Amino acid sequence: MSSIALRNLGARKLRTFLTALAIVLGVMMVAGTYVLTDTIEQSFDKIFTESNEGVDAVVTSKQVVETDDGQEPPIEASLLEAVRGVDGVAEAAGTISDPQVAIIDPDGDRVGGGGAPTFAFSTTPERFDPLEYPEGGPPQADDEVVIDKAAAETAGYELGDEVTLAGKQEASRYTLVGLATLGDIESFGGASIALLTLPEAQRITGKQGRFDSITVAGADGVSQDALANRIAAVLPDSSEVETGEANTQSQQDDVGEFIGILKTVLLVFAGVSLFVASFLIFNTFSITVAQRTREFAMLRTLGANRRQIITSLVIEALAIGLAASVLGLLAGIAFAPVIGLLFDVLEIGLPKEGTVVETRTIVTAIVLGTGLAVLAALVPALRATRVPPVVGLREGASLETSAGRRRRGLVGLALAVIGIVLMALGLFGVLSPGEAWLGVGAAVVFIGVALLSPRLVRPLASIVGMPLQRLSGVAGRLARENSIRNPGRTATTAAALMIGLALVSFVTVFAAGLKGSVDKAIDEGITAELRLSNTDGFSDIPARTATAIEGVEGVEAASPYRYTQALIEGDKGFLSLVDPATVNDVFDFDWREGSAETAAGLGPTDAVVDDNWARDNGLGVGDAFAVTTPSGREISYTVTGTIKDNTDFFGDYFASDANAAAYNEADNITSSFVRLADGADEEATREQIEGIVDTGFPTVQTQNRQEIKDSIGDELSQLLGVVYALLGLAVIVSLFGIVNTLALSIYERTRELGLLRAVGMSRRQVRRIIRYEAVITALIGAVLGLVLGVVFAILVSRPLADEGFTLVIPVATLLVLMVLAAIAGVLAAIAPARRASRLDVLDALAYE
Amino acid sequence: MSQSPIVAAQDLVRVFGEGDAAVRAIDGVSVDFPDGAFTAIMGPSGSGKSTLMHMLAGLDRPTEGSVTIDGVELAGLDDAELTELRRDKIGFVFQFFNLLPVLTADENILLPLSLAGRDPDPKLHEQLVAAVGLGDRLGHRPSELSGGQQQRVAVARALISEPAVVFADEPTGNLDSKSSDEVLSLLRGAVDEFGQTVVMVTHEAHAAAIADRVVVLVDGRVVADEAPESTEQVLDLMKQVAA
Ligand SMILES: Nc1ncnc2c1ncn2[C@@H]1O[C@H](COP(=O)(O)OP(=O)(O)O)[C@@H](O)[C@H]1O
Ligand SMILES: [Mg+2]
Repeated sequence: MSSIALRNLGARKLRTFLTALAIVLGVMMVAGTYVLTDTIEQSFDKIFTESNEGVDAVVTSKQVVETDDGQEPPIEASLLEAVRGVDGVAEAAGTISDPQVAIIDPDGDRVGGGGAPTFAFSTTPERFDPLEYPEGGPPQADDEVVIDKAAAETAGYELGDEVTLAGKQEASRYTLVGLATLGDIESFGGASIALLTLPEAQRITGKQGRFDSITVAGADGVSQDALANRIAAVLPDSSEVETGEANTQSQQDDVGEFIGILKTVLLVFAGVSLFVASFLIFNTFSITVAQRTREFAMLRTLGANRRQIITSLVIEALAIGLAASVLGLLAGIAFAPVIGLLFDVLEIGLPKEGTVVETRTIVTAIVLGTGLAVLAALVPALRATRVPPVVGLREGASLETSAGRRRRGLVGLALAVIGIVLMALGLFGVLSPGEAWLGVGAAVVFIGVALLSPRLVRPLASIVGMPLQRLSGVAGRLARENSIRNPGRTATTAAALMIGLALVSFVTVFAAGLKGSVDKAIDEGITAELRLSNTDGFSDIPARTATAIEGVEGVEAASPYRYTQALIEGDKGFLSLVDPATVNDVFDFDWREGSAETAAGLGPTDAVVDDNWARDNGLGVGDAFAVTTPSGREISYTVTGTIKDNTDFFGDYFASDANAAAYNEADNITSSFVRLADGADEEATREQIEGIVDTGFPTVQTQNRQEIKDSIGDELSQLLGVVYALLGLAVIVSLFGIVNTLALSIYERTRELGLLRAVGMSRRQVRRIIRYEAVITALIGAVLGLVLGVVFAILVSRPLADEGFTLVIPVATLLVLMVLAAIAGVLAAIAPARRASRLDVLDALAYE
Repeated sequence: MSQSPIVAAQDLVRVFGEGDAAVRAIDGVSVDFPDGAFTAIMGPSGSGKSTLMHMLAGLDRPTEGSVTIDGVELAGLDDAELTELRRDKIGFVFQFFNLLPVLTADENILLPLSLAGRDPDPKLHEQLVAAVGLGDRLGHRPSELSGGQQQRVAVARALISEPAVVFADEPTGNLDSKSSDEVLSLLRGAVDEFGQTVVMVTHEAHAAAIADRVVVLVDGRVVADEAPESTEQVLDLMKQVAA
């Protein structure tokens, strides 16, 4: 008797542990996301606070369009005199702080790899200078530079060395006269600083006669607000003033907005893990409650009422949930830096100093974990206590009626359909925000399919189990039979894996389609042989790059291309600026209305628009539309042609670069497309171009069409890799689900295993049964997941179809996923199989 | 009978627990089971019958003493070898839960051979199926069979691999007398027709009476080893022992 009691306790311990594990994993990701993003935010706050010390007011241009590259239009240097003349201004200085420069290391590569920006700063009077100089001091001459200590260490520069900086002009060389730090801040998260004299900073950033901002210190007794008000009075409409505090705040807000996006993305993935975990929690409670049906029936015959039993179960869930949430929170704090690694992979350099655990993080983690546990326990508790005690006392009493099962199937089907409809409504903009509804729809589909899947378990198990049975006879047969014994249990376990795999296959299919469409667009739309662009893949390059190579033998045309943003008909949108003289040499437009002559003849206010955008906005040739450029210029464009722009390469419209200055793009371009002369030697020409670029423009790379495709492919796979990693947690959680279900089922089948062992089943064969059962469950999940993933991809790509998005189903990749799922099943089975094979035969046979 | 025994136990001792709580469940038992004999092991509840059978069948290891089956000394075998021995040389019938609920009656019968990856001797299979008398229920799952039918399937399962010895632990303990007789005559038939060696633990006199020989255990020792001819003689034997 005592051994049975002990075994019960042991099994309870296992159940408790496995339930708790699901909660821990789910909560971990949520807590980790909060900790990580709070830490990043706090690190930025510290940097901004530190760098604005001693600043009472800041004058900047009024930003009309918040562009994604973070560039703000500069202000006229003449404003400085006006500001200095304001009563109460103790000191004012014009400054440059431009994120589009690069420090070049001795090997000719940019320091930091381009993941985080390098800021060109101009020297400021002592009182504004946030920097400390552990070595040397600020630059005194135009050929001197100070860089931050971390960058110097990375590049291996020492005082006196010659340092190359690349900006919007040809790269220049400076003598390193000092190393800087920002207070006690160790890292800017990969960002670096190059400090130059004001005139040189203005020159290299193309801002001669202009400043990025004017920093002001007030006289004693003048409040920041009063100071700002007085300055505001003398400023033109195109500029504005903020108090030092407000400026710090708005910088923090800007970063906060960006981090908010990161946080949302991460929380979505955390949500996926948690969603998967809740399947697991639910399943575990269902199984353990079912296993205890007799116990409850016995308690009820002894006089306990339903409420008492439900209450005791809920309290149990509450205790497990609470303990697991706390563990999950701790795990999340430890896990935060691991999530942070993903940014490093994507080369998003962000400062992450210390560990910030906000109250909100603690509360969310605990409420989520505990709440889920209680919710997941409630359904099985209600179900178990609904069974009349007499029935419950019978061994193997089933908790589900066949009518209940049928109802469940119908509800599942209905939910799956509703989910698909919600996704479609979100997708076609009927419900907004579209992405949110897409996600909600997908979650509803998942729940629906999970409810439906018990009915699919039997046929699917037959299909995937058949080869296993062929392979190993009785072990395969038993595994298959075991997996369909409790279809609901297998289904829920498989459904958890289905979610992860559906999302994985969705992004895989979608990315394959994207890649194919982009490749096609490049092949069909670009006639240039070479492209010059920034080595970091997204920053601008100096406009002079295009002109510098024009004279090279074999170059027919070097066409500057700018991709930028503006307010188009009141909405922020993307557009392109091209050089009408050469644009037809490098692009082959898919004209709807107009022709190559239309592009060649683009006047300063003519525009060729994307026909989708034109249709959405009711525009046709001859119509006009209004654009506000980032510098605040209002331009009324006239539509002179329309093109079909698959992959949205050009944005809403393209126009002549005659107005580049209005877009703050006079000195920089996105890329330069190079058309070679007929019969030119591509190799030789490229070598010449690279020679010029390498010395004058070290941040510029030369690529041919294939290399462009490859680099886009690389970026896509990198992004895909990160998405896989984020979904990986959900998959891992679902694998724990398999472990969990197997372990609990093995406990239930102890006696059967004992019998099998007694009549001659070897340990290996026992392990094989469990392993196959796991593989069958995993494959059921995989089949459901892959099918749903493809369905999602087809659905989501519908609206893109008329933009030339063609869906290709990467069958080989999907098969690989299938095999991986099977392998994952094998891995999940290791521990349970071991446990099962180690069962003591006599113990297992011992009847109560 | 002078031929060498199929199962031989020498000075078996089995102690459960340690120190003051130690129980000598088997306390010095030496017993041989000759080829082709049907032996019943009797004794009051807790006398050590199951413990003895478990050791004889290689399911449990003796604290002292040795067991040989078909000439193989069990003490020298590891788990894999013992498992193989059980699969190939031993047939089992337990009191409860003999069959796997997910397999059909016929699949249950064939289980030991399936585990070994062997094909059944079709003649034997046919014969056993006929003897079990399930008719068209052969393809049914155990839950659809009566207790007697289940035990008969279990007996057929024990016989299918033509084992050296069949061990049955209270195979009729849960059955009504008609079912019980059917199971017993199946076992008896195996001994008579195939020369099967059978060792059956029972506490029922009428069950023991169909055996060729009755070994009586009390407190872990053999107190009688005789060959009674009828139920009455078995009952007499038990009375003597109790006295
Ligand atoms: N696993 C065990 N642990 C401790 N004691 C045991 C164990 N198995 C049997 N015993 C004890 O050994 C004695 C003999 O048991 P058993 O062989 O089952 O008797 P029988 O089958 O004759 O009823 C009993 O006292 C029993 O309590
Ligand atoms: Mg017994």
